Amino acid sequence: MEKTWLRDYIIKRLFYALIIAWGVLTVTFILVRVGPTSPADKYLANLAARGEEPAQVIAAIEARYGLDKPLYEQYASYVGNLVRGDWGWSLSTSMPVIELIKTHWIYSFQLILLSTILAALVGILIGIYSAVRQYSKTDYIATFFSFIGISIPNFWLGVMLILLFSVQLGLFKTYYDTGVPLFSLANLKQLILPVITLGTGMMAGYTRYTRSAMLDNLRKDFVRTARAKGLPERVVIGKHVFRNAVLPLVTIIMFDLGSIVFGGAYLTEIVFGIPGLGRISFNAVFADDYAVVVAVTLISAFLVLLINLVTDIAYAYLDPRIRYD
Amino acid sequence: MTKKGIKHLAGRVGGIKNLILILLAALWLLTLLLDIFVVERIFTPLGYLYLALGIVFLLYVVWPLYTSRRLVRYYWQRVKRNRLAVVGLAFVLFLILLAVFGPLFTADPTAANFEEKNMPPVGLSIEESIYNAETGQFITKTITGTWEHPLGTDNKGRDLLAMLISGAGVSLQVGLLATGIAIALGTLIGVVSAYLGGKVDNILMRFTDIMMTFPFFLLLVFIVFIFGPNLAFIVLVIGLTGWTGVARLIRSETLSLRTREFILAAKALGASDGRIVLAHLIPNVISLIVVIATLSIPGVILAEAALSFIGLGDPAVTSWGMVLRAGQQSLDTTWWVAVAPGIMLFFTVLAFNFVGDGLRDAFDPRSSV
Amino acid sequence: MKRVLYILVSAILVCSLLVACQPKGVTGVFISGTSAGDAETLNWILAADSASFGYAGHTVDSLVTYDNEWRIQLRTAAKDVEVSEDGLVYTVTIRDDLRWSDGSKVTAEDYVYTLKNLMFSDWLNYPYKSDWQEEVEGEAVFVTPKVVNETTFTIARQTVEPEFIYTVRNLVPYPKYIAVKYEGDVEAFTQAQEFNNLTYTGNLGPYKFKEWVRNDKFVVERNPEYYLGKDTGAPYFEQYIIKLFGTSAIAHAALEAGDITYTGIDPDKVSKFKKMEGINVYTVPTTGYLLLAYNLRDNGWGGLKIKEVRQALSLAVSKGLIIERVLYGFGEPAFSFIPKVSPWYVAEGVTQYGVKPLLDKEKARELLVSAGYDKPVTLTLLTNAGNEEREDVGYLVKEQLSAIGIDVELKFVPWATMLRKYLMNKTPGTDEELRYNNGLKAVSEEPWDLMVIGLTTNPLSPSGQDVFYATKGGLNFFGYSNIQVDELFKRIKSKEALDEKVRRELYAELSRLVSEEQPVDFLTFQLANAGFQKKVKGIEPGINMGYNYHLWYFE
Repeated sequence: MEKTWLRDYIIKRLFYALIIAWGVLTVTFILVRVGPTSPADKYLANLAARGEEPAQVIAAIEARYGLDKPLYEQYASYVGNLVRGDWGWSLSTSMPVIELIKTHWIYSFQLILLSTILAALVGILIGIYSAVRQYSKTDYIATFFSFIGISIPNFWLGVMLILLFSVQLGLFKTYYDTGVPLFSLANLKQLILPVITLGTGMMAGYTRYTRSAMLDNLRKDFVRTARAKGLPERVVIGKHVFRNAVLPLVTIIMFDLGSIVFGGAYLTEIVFGIPGLGRISFNAVFADDYAVVVAVTLISAFLVLLINLVTDIAYAYLDPRIRYD
Repeated sequence: MTKKGIKHLAGRVGGIKNLILILLAALWLLTLLLDIFVVERIFTPLGYLYLALGIVFLLYVVWPLYTSRRLVRYYWQRVKRNRLAVVGLAFVLFLILLAVFGPLFTADPTAANFEEKNMPPVGLSIEESIYNAETGQFITKTITGTWEHPLGTDNKGRDLLAMLISGAGVSLQVGLLATGIAIALGTLIGVVSAYLGGKVDNILMRFTDIMMTFPFFLLLVFIVFIFGPNLAFIVLVIGLTGWTGVARLIRSETLSLRTREFILAAKALGASDGRIVLAHLIPNVISLIVVIATLSIPGVILAEAALSFIGLGDPAVTSWGMVLRAGQQSLDTTWWVAVAPGIMLFFTVLAFNFVGDGLRDAFDPRSSV
Repeated sequence: MKRVLYILVSAILVCSLLVACQPKGVTGVFISGTSAGDAETLNWILAADSASFGYAGHTVDSLVTYDNEWRIQLRTAAKDVEVSEDGLVYTVTIRDDLRWSDGSKVTAEDYVYTLKNLMFSDWLNYPYKSDWQEEVEGEAVFVTPKVVNETTFTIARQTVEPEFIYTVRNLVPYPKYIAVKYEGDVEAFTQAQEFNNLTYTGNLGPYKFKEWVRNDKFVVERNPEYYLGKDTGAPYFEQYIIKLFGTSAIAHAALEAGDITYTGIDPDKVSKFKKMEGINVYTVPTTGYLLLAYNLRDNGWGGLKIKEVRQALSLAVSKGLIIERVLYGFGEPAFSFIPKVSPWYVAEGVTQYGVKPLLDKEKARELLVSAGYDKPVTLTLLTNAGNEEREDVGYLVKEQLSAIGIDVELKFVPWATMLRKYLMNKTPGTDEELRYNNGLKAVSEEPWDLMVIGLTTNPLSPSGQDVFYATKGGLNFFGYSNIQVDELFKRIKSKEALDEKVRRELYAELSRLVSEEQPVDFLTFQLANAGFQKKVKGIEPGINMGYNYHLWYFE
């Protein structure tokens, strides 16, 4: 099938993505610099600094990080550096932002990846099953549990899991140990509780989406045709119904990833002490470390844009009925 | 002002309801400006949000519902058949009653009483040891729960039951107000964008895209940290950052409505754009709005709870997230302080999810409720 | 046969003798848990947080340190700092076996450079530079360091300050050969690789920097070159790790599970930990104290300006109750800013408000009546939002004061706001910059009456507290002024106080005066609890228990 417009569409989307990313960058930058708090605050707070002129202290600290220059100059130099690959200096951790992100992103990534896999696998399977056996006891139980899953505040769930499994039962270590090699069984073990915490909420959503997508398709005519043709039920469900349900499902999973996950992963990292990007950015906010906040915001915005774009393209490619103008 | 004059004016703005809205909005704005620049506190910031939302709610939700009672009854029949939804609704009502009348029967949630700190719920006991610096020994005593504090107290001696009730009020308020703001904004943008189409649609949707790509929670933490944790402000920020999903959904629904006959008819009859939007389009998406609203409330409540949990909640307000934060420090001793608010949050969110789901099924003509 | 037996036995004897005489082997990894937050930088000369100094401190020693009885323990200094007769010249002699990482000697030149070109410089803006300044003819000038020879340098003053020696003893050098590369450029200095990764530390500390995973852990590894370890083989841990936890609860759980070696224990958990088999808990004094500040400026309650009213308030607030209910008993009542562990501490003559018999609500009311301030009044009490301890104290103070007819309204404010709106002040009607003490007529932007804050005192040189209690004190944000107090502070920082006996008398008088005057209500000196795995040996609990940590080992 000729889809020459696809190439143009991709280019157009990339262009828009760039504009959006720039918009995000600018807004975040302005917000950070314009707020009433300043990185000099903790110097002022340290009363042992013997009553130096507060104005002088602020000026000195800002000079140290180049924050005393006018806003547009800072912005220009920030963007200029960014294009060249220099993400700036993190003042709260005294290291280049790139290094900070390079050392910490993997923890967030493994958490989100494993949680999504768990949630998707379990969620979709349960969803399919409960759609096929609609109104059966299993359906009700599954629906019930998915409701519970969406409703449990995930930071509370994390705290409760720690209470039960680490403190009371002693089955897991009480904190996440970064010394454990990443691709080891031990690392997998210590990720069990965090993944359950983050995955539960996502899983419940997937169950329900899958169920309703499957139900929508089960009513369609082609199913009746397939059954009339004498195809075994398993083939009907697996090959026909599910295939049609997959696309909207994938879209929804992707959207979920973009919006909810980052918030949930954030909280899970804080509760379990996993030094991922969520925790880093959280600490950076409290320390007025604008370089890190802007960087993390940009990265997550970029990821969201990328995921959306990839999803839309895959959608367009796979579904012959769709055409974007 | 003659009756005819009023009718004429109403026609210009798209209906008598819109006229009343404009009048009340002007009054509201006037009061707000007076408050800021001239007199001192007439209403609290939260109060203003309530008034604004109250006006919109009364005019566009209560009034239409009142005039189409038969329709309401029909839908209610459908909802009633979903048992879970009914249970959820009952819980929400219970919560409202608790929040409104509970404070009359319980202690002040902010009243610290150090003599009674760390008391367990009724029936349980706990040990407390105080160190004597001179002898180097501990003096241990056992504290047992009493009916005076049926759910126990926290580490400042505040009654847990009272704090939970206060938290219910906070969560309900935040849920209502923040969702209201998000819905109002999202609906407006979604409908206008879909109806006007073309360039306007493009610009509005690009703007929505930008808002959507911001990591919602990080943004929230960020803004609240910079500008200070004040409940009204938090509500405003949650509302102003959460409208994007609503806008998208409403827009796609409006797009499909736009080509329907009754809209084309209205246009043919010469109705202005404003009138079509306000008098025809919006009332038809109301069912969708109601469902979205009910399903958004849990997210909003959880967002506020999460904020309080990380310490960015309003310190003057006792919310569930705040209690949870206090409780997680002593999970191994005074665990009830952490467990209770979590349970409350869970059931509240669950209830709203049940109701929202039930409403969705009720409004969906395809589902055989 | 017998001969073989002989040889065998002697061999065994010799072997076991060798083993016994072997310096202690390296015995494992020490993991210290903390929930106090990560350090900001290892480039410690830029830092303002104690964590940063703590981290870097594992890799470089100061000139001198103290044991729990304040006896001098030499570190990089070859002998104690010498003070000239007239108290104006300080002579420092360093060891000659100190080396930077590139093998070059650490010389007096490095120390003088660190002082003159870094700490005193304009471009770097060292936060503690006022430690090295003195007031000469109304101007603040720097002291004068000078190199004498490779291992000796002097610091010359123009005024006598007996407690300056403590500042000198804490000196840690930066390597001149690296620092010259960044001189003058503060941004480059801030980002300098060598300073941020402590690559220069040579044999100056028991450990060498290994890695720092932000917000997670800080790892240093044993330094076999350590100048103090030559004979003893110290330190005895392969690695020393500082592991960061989000909350103290998780750190406690980790200690209990045996995942870490040490952490501080919260007061309410101490009895539980003391009962544990494998854990030792040591209760030690700290330099932290809590106080209730009174706003003596014009925008505070007028009654606070009157001594009797302040005394009345202090009569009503029970320190014992605070210690019992907030600190779970881990504290001692404070009556001045000099703690019991200080060599200058004196108890006689000090007025002990807040404990019986000076804990008397009736008497408090009487005092208020006689001062004319017994009408019901509502006071605002501020404290730092998010600090549990201080909030608790705030609640207790409110409870106690309500019993004598004073209604207290609590306000929890974020730190940054507290600094800008309540601590900093300026004289109304002027254009001056906000400072912590703009003179007696200055007022803060927002009014306040009472404030619960926590400070640290230096037990060796409590005169440093003059920043708070002297009329011109740079941090005297509450506006206290008393000529006698000023006079005493001045005398302690003068020539006559070079004589330790005289100094002790002066401090005693100061304590008595301050305890009676009640510029603030001194509340408590806190005790801390350190929890260790039982297998850690060599610990000497006390105010400076970390002084010999390089000699600790696992059994």
